[in-house]
Amino acid sequence: MSFRQFAFGLTATFGIAWLAVVIVPFFMMRSLEPVSFSEAADGKEGIYHPKRTGRVANGAEVYAANGCYTCHTQLIRPTYAGNDLGRPDWGGLKMDEERGDTRRESNAFDYRGEKFANIGLNRLGPDLSNLGRRVEAEYAKDGDPKEWLLMHLYDPRADPKRQNSTCPSFRFLFEEKQVLGQVPDDALPVQAPVGKAVVATDAANELVDYLLSLKRDDAVPASINYGPAAAPAGAKPAAAAAEAPQG
Amino acid sequence: MSQASTQSPETDAIRRAEIDRSLRHPVMFFFTSGAAWLAVAILLGIVSSAKVHSPGFLDGCSWLTYGRVQPAHLNALIYGWGCQAAFGTLVWLMSRLSRQTCRAAGIILTAGHIWNVAISLGVIGILSGHGTGVPWMEMPVFAWVPMLLSYGLIAIWSMIQFKVRPAGHVFISQWYALAALICFPWVFATAHIMVFGFSGSPLMAAAINAWYRSALLFLFFTPTAIAAAYYLVSKVTGRPIYSYTLSLLGFWSLAIIAPWAGMQKLAGAPIPNFLPYLGAAATILIAIPAIAVGVNLLKTAAASPETVAHSPSLRFTLAGIVGLLVTGAACVFLNVPPILQATQFTLSGYGFDILALYGFFSFIAFGMIYFVVPRITRREWLSSRLIKMHFYISIYGVLFVALIALFGGVMQGQAQEDYAQPWENAMTYAYPYAVATTLAWCFLLFSNVFFFLHLTLMWLRLGRRSSHPTLLGGHHAESLHDSIHGPEGDIDNAGPGSAPAPTH
Repeated sequence: MSFRQFAFGLTATFGIAWLAVVIVPFFMMRSLEPVSFSEAADGKEGIYHPKRTGRVANGAEVYAANGCYTCHTQLIRPTYAGNDLGRPDWGGLKMDEERGDTRRESNAFDYRGEKFANIGLNRLGPDLSNLGRRVEAEYAKDGDPKEWLLMHLYDPRADPKRQNSTCPSFRFLFEEKQVLGQVPDDALPVQAPVGKAVVATDAANELVDYLLSLKRDDAVPASINYGPAAAPAGAKPAAAAAEAPQG
Repeated sequence: MSQASTQSPETDAIRRAEIDRSLRHPVMFFFTSGAAWLAVAILLGIVSSAKVHSPGFLDGCSWLTYGRVQPAHLNALIYGWGCQAAFGTLVWLMSRLSRQTCRAAGIILTAGHIWNVAISLGVIGILSGHGTGVPWMEMPVFAWVPMLLSYGLIAIWSMIQFKVRPAGHVFISQWYALAALICFPWVFATAHIMVFGFSGSPLMAAAINAWYRSALLFLFFTPTAIAAAYYLVSKVTGRPIYSYTLSLLGFWSLAIIAPWAGMQKLAGAPIPNFLPYLGAAATILIAIPAIAVGVNLLKTAAASPETVAHSPSLRFTLAGIVGLLVTGAACVFLNVPPILQATQFTLSGYGFDILALYGFFSFIAFGMIYFVVPRITRREWLSSRLIKMHFYISIYGVLFVALIALFGGVMQGQAQEDYAQPWENAMTYAYPYAVATTLAWCFLLFSNVFFFLHLTLMWLRLGRRSSHPTLLGGHHAESLHDSIHGPEGDIDNAGPGSAPAPTH
């Protein structure tokens, strides 16, 4: 093997793969074609544009800096790649009060507003793709979702049902404030030294905002909807009509 | 070997001694600071893995929360220990094989310090909560440019040395070393620029990151370790490589396959569908270069079983080669569709990385360190017992790591996939393997205490002054002395001129 062969060979072997799996897909994915609803299949017109509220960008930074992705994923895989959709509250809600079964796989629009998709490395904890939905509909059904999440971050094992949780406590995202008069509204209902109250820092509030924004179960246009049961409620008549002849 | 056969053995030995002396400071710096980072990485590894099963351990301090300690641990392991051990190996190998003294020792040493400052600040940045959250690239964004620049200053001299080498046959190690030297900046710069520099799809950033983690492993650490292994095995046994064809096959199959691997870590994510498929297929095919290299080197070494038993370098190197074969098997096992589906988000991701980084790369790096340090310090290792302790206890640690990667992840993954069970069930399955991870790091800490102690003594120039290499046999086999390091293997501790002296 001469140096010329080596240089040419390495440039070709590495360069082709580099172009094919890194550079070209990067630009392919850079500007995603918008997906539209269609009257026939979805019962409505317009561009699919998932909305997210809250301080997503700041919260994502707190999420990243504290390594949430080392134990939690944010990916609902299609059924060929995993059984994530089987779980009743991961891909959405199996029994949403208004919309029925809202479960669906992750799509490319779900990660909008973030610099880096926190797909995650390991599932030592549950998937968080629809954590916001789950907290509101299940964990904090009769309470304040924000307070529930703050409490969970403060002490994940406080709830007797979660004694065995291995989630670390994020007490360092909270501070003890001197109470001079009225106890602040946002004080956590936890034990604090006399004359003090435990209050979430900005970072904790941003993180909770971000976590509550994780509701990736909105109805998607039929063209990117691969689930059999995820037809949006509004589209039911049209979808049913379309399916009727086949049945 | 690129022997300049016109030279007499004496001038040859003088030349080698000159090369070693010119490299003493930079190479010793990389090895010792790499070892220091290994200590940091192991301690952080124990803390972080203990937190997985005992979340109350060292709880409440923001610097020691799991989500920061774990990335700090991996970054310290990869950039602190792995990269520096690799730099030391590559710089030394390239000088020796190109038969050039190092004329830029001062610059390499300075660049090495810059590298260390950058990763120190980077790891502190992660622990203080400024991590980027991009796996293996968690160090705050200020760190990567100085790292890349200092890498350039470290590596460019080796490339120049290759360029001005005497004409003749190029040893297979040099091709591997050159490939590693070229691939590192390419891979490193691509990933950091595409993720931090350009704004693109967040998903593609994640995919490129997955590719980066795989490419760093297979295109930098793997060729570096294979370069060292080819050198050590043929040098210490004094035999030519078993098959030249097989070594070419090993090299080109790695070059062709490895750059495609990695994106299977995102299987099921909404990225172009061919990427995870290609990634899984390529990672499975990594077994081909692993087997080609493994068979070639084991066949070469098998011709001298006595040397293998007695030479510390060779023993570590061959253990690393077995590690490569196990890593290759893990590549196949973990990426066939049903297993990939189960293990995609389990402990086997981490277990596989540690298997490759420690069970394969680090073992060969230790072999290299046991070979090179006596030559550049002109002192012999003090105690074969310390080396043996390092070896055997490391093996125990790596066995645990392999168990976690190949078995624990599957158990955890199957429980995850069993969606009819509550989620807590999967965590119950992961628990024993999380404990095993902690045990593995405890073993590795224990084994490396002997290594750190030994290397520190060598660094303080307290090694034995002798021309007899430290061997692992129960008796100090005099008869083995000549054969043990091959014709070039003797260490001329009495000064360059005395090289050909051992004629017993």
